[in-house]
Amino acid sequence: MNVVRLIRATARLELELLARDRLFVALTVLAAVSFIAMVSLFGLTGSRAPMALVDEDHSPDAQRFVRALEQAHHSFALRPMSAAEASAQVGSGRLVGSITIPAGFGERVRRGDTVPVEVVIDNVDVDLTNDVQRALPAAIVLFGRDAGLPGLRAQVSERDVYVNDTGYVPYLAVSALALDAFVIAGALGAIAVAREWEGRTLKLLRVSPARPGALLAGKLLAAGAVAAAALLAAVLAVVLGYGVRPVAPVAVAGTLLACVVVFACVGAWLGAVLRRTAPVVPLMFGLAMPLYLDSGALEPTRFDGDVIWVIAHATPLYYAVGVLEWAFHGLQVTPEPVLLDLAILVAFAAASVPLAAAALREDG
Amino acid sequence: MTPAAVELRDVTLRRGRVTALNGFGVTVPEGTAVGLVGPNGAGKTSVVDVACGLLRPQRGEVRVFGHDVRRDGLAARRRIGLVPQETALYDEVSAWRNLRFAAELHGLRRPDDRIAELLELVGLTERASDPVATYSGGMRRRLAIARALVHEPSLLVLDEPTLGVDVEARRQIWGHVRGLRRRGRTVLISTNYLDEAEALCDRVVVLRAGRVVAEDTPAGLLARAGRSVDVECSRPSALLLRESLLRDPSVTRAELTESGLTLLVQREGKPEALVRRAMDEASVSGFRVRPPDLSEVLRTLP
Repeated sequence: MNVVRLIRATARLELELLARDRLFVALTVLAAVSFIAMVSLFGLTGSRAPMALVDEDHSPDAQRFVRALEQAHHSFALRPMSAAEASAQVGSGRLVGSITIPAGFGERVRRGDTVPVEVVIDNVDVDLTNDVQRALPAAIVLFGRDAGLPGLRAQVSERDVYVNDTGYVPYLAVSALALDAFVIAGALGAIAVAREWEGRTLKLLRVSPARPGALLAGKLLAAGAVAAAALLAAVLAVVLGYGVRPVAPVAVAGTLLACVVVFACVGAWLGAVLRRTAPVVPLMFGLAMPLYLDSGALEPTRFDGDVIWVIAHATPLYYAVGVLEWAFHGLQVTPEPVLLDLAILVAFAAASVPLAAAALREDG
Repeated sequence: MTPAAVELRDVTLRRGRVTALNGFGVTVPEGTAVGLVGPNGAGKTSVVDVACGLLRPQRGEVRVFGHDVRRDGLAARRRIGLVPQETALYDEVSAWRNLRFAAELHGLRRPDDRIAELLELVGLTERASDPVATYSGGMRRRLAIARALVHEPSLLVLDEPTLGVDVEARRQIWGHVRGLRRRGRTVLISTNYLDEAEALCDRVVVLRAGRVVAEDTPAGLLARAGRSVDVECSRPSALLLRESLLRDPSVTRAELTESGLTLLVQREGKPEALVRRAMDEASVSGFRVRPPDLSEVLRTLP
């Protein structure tokens, strides 16, 4: 029997089955893009909390202090306004807090007096309180240096590992592509296989002389094609929407295709275990978020402690994020070489195909 | 010597804690039709699945046209056409696509003529392009039969082929099976319907709890059981007569019916004498002596 013809026939049937459910396919593509939006929101929310800046002094030193505040690392968006406005808006919950530079600030600083800078903070979330507590000393140091005031000698000397900084949202968006591949290709692979049990058509396949491996390959080919189309939409959102230009476009395409193959295979195996389509989607989403967060999606997992790092190694998402961050941004986020990450991804696929094929063959 | 189309010897199949088949054996000679009959849970579908290589028994030997299903499953499967109980069709796509995919599974090249011929055979040419989801139960069964025949198998295995279909569809399916038999195809049918086994099969194997309790031609099975006597009487008379007549050693069963009582009498028994005794003991408005049907025969088996 011609295996290529069998794979083609199975893929054609699978595509025809998917084509009968166009809404499902459309929602699959939408899900791929919505993941990018989700992680972008994750990166954006909390990073620009509105904070009132009340300048009651207006001296050159007060303006220097404002600039120092803006340059200090924090997650606030400073909004200049009057004390009355600030008080009203903090009271109504529209501002996270206010920083007030008192009248006579410049003069008193020059005299060497201690000047209280009043901070009001809505400490609904201690994270914001901690943030302002960290930001103010840094701003004071910066201010002292710029104003040439004596007694302030701290100086930051930064040496970067990478020539260019990578924005947090572009970092997240790229790792979200691995999440996309996991959920979309995984769900499609799982559904393609579980459907055979649910529709009881597995008997037809098993009583035929067709090889389970060829049947599985045909199914995964169709599932992979749809998943790849959905991922293309997500990649376009990252490239055109966020302006992230991949440093290695061919590697991006290759890695994403490898991810599609790996996760479709893993999905096929899960589909063979579950044997029903309904639990597939909650399972994939349920698995996706913890695996994603433990894959180096927010920052390299090696910064997250030994336990998290060790667990991350057991999941294919870790290696996928490793390869994708390199292909998009040129970042080495795993201690393992990128080629090893890729090889491990392929090994995951190679292990899951026979498992799924065996499940198609086994009794019951 | 030509090997049998299907040969199961001393097959034991356990699924979890349930023993589905317990030392089961059957032989289906080539060119014959054998029916597997028995109540739900008797093991009929298990026999079908074991014969098709879908389930592996823990013990015993399974051969299809001489091929050991376990060791040489591919050769065996090439010669089997299966119509599963659940039809196993892809509902979302057309009949034509279902047949085309089945043909491709069997490696057929350019199967369009064969598909057209089969659609014509089962009377589905007009609906060939419609999704199977829009078909009636009978149409689905006919399509499943067409699909099982796509690679011209030597052995057709039908698992409950008329389950849940209407009388007309049943008649059509019987017609197709009879046509296949005329063309010399070997047929193994599992069925709950005894009239179906009687109408389509050369031999009937009766299963209960995974064992063979009887195997014979339909006529032979009927002959074993003697005759049936329908006694028309009121319910109190029927209750009275049942108690009395069951004491006669020739009466193997006495069942209350809507019109009175039905007795199953051994071949050596004398139905006329029983009728006379019944008329003496109670008010009887009518009676009929007739050959038993297969369901009555099955109820007499151990």
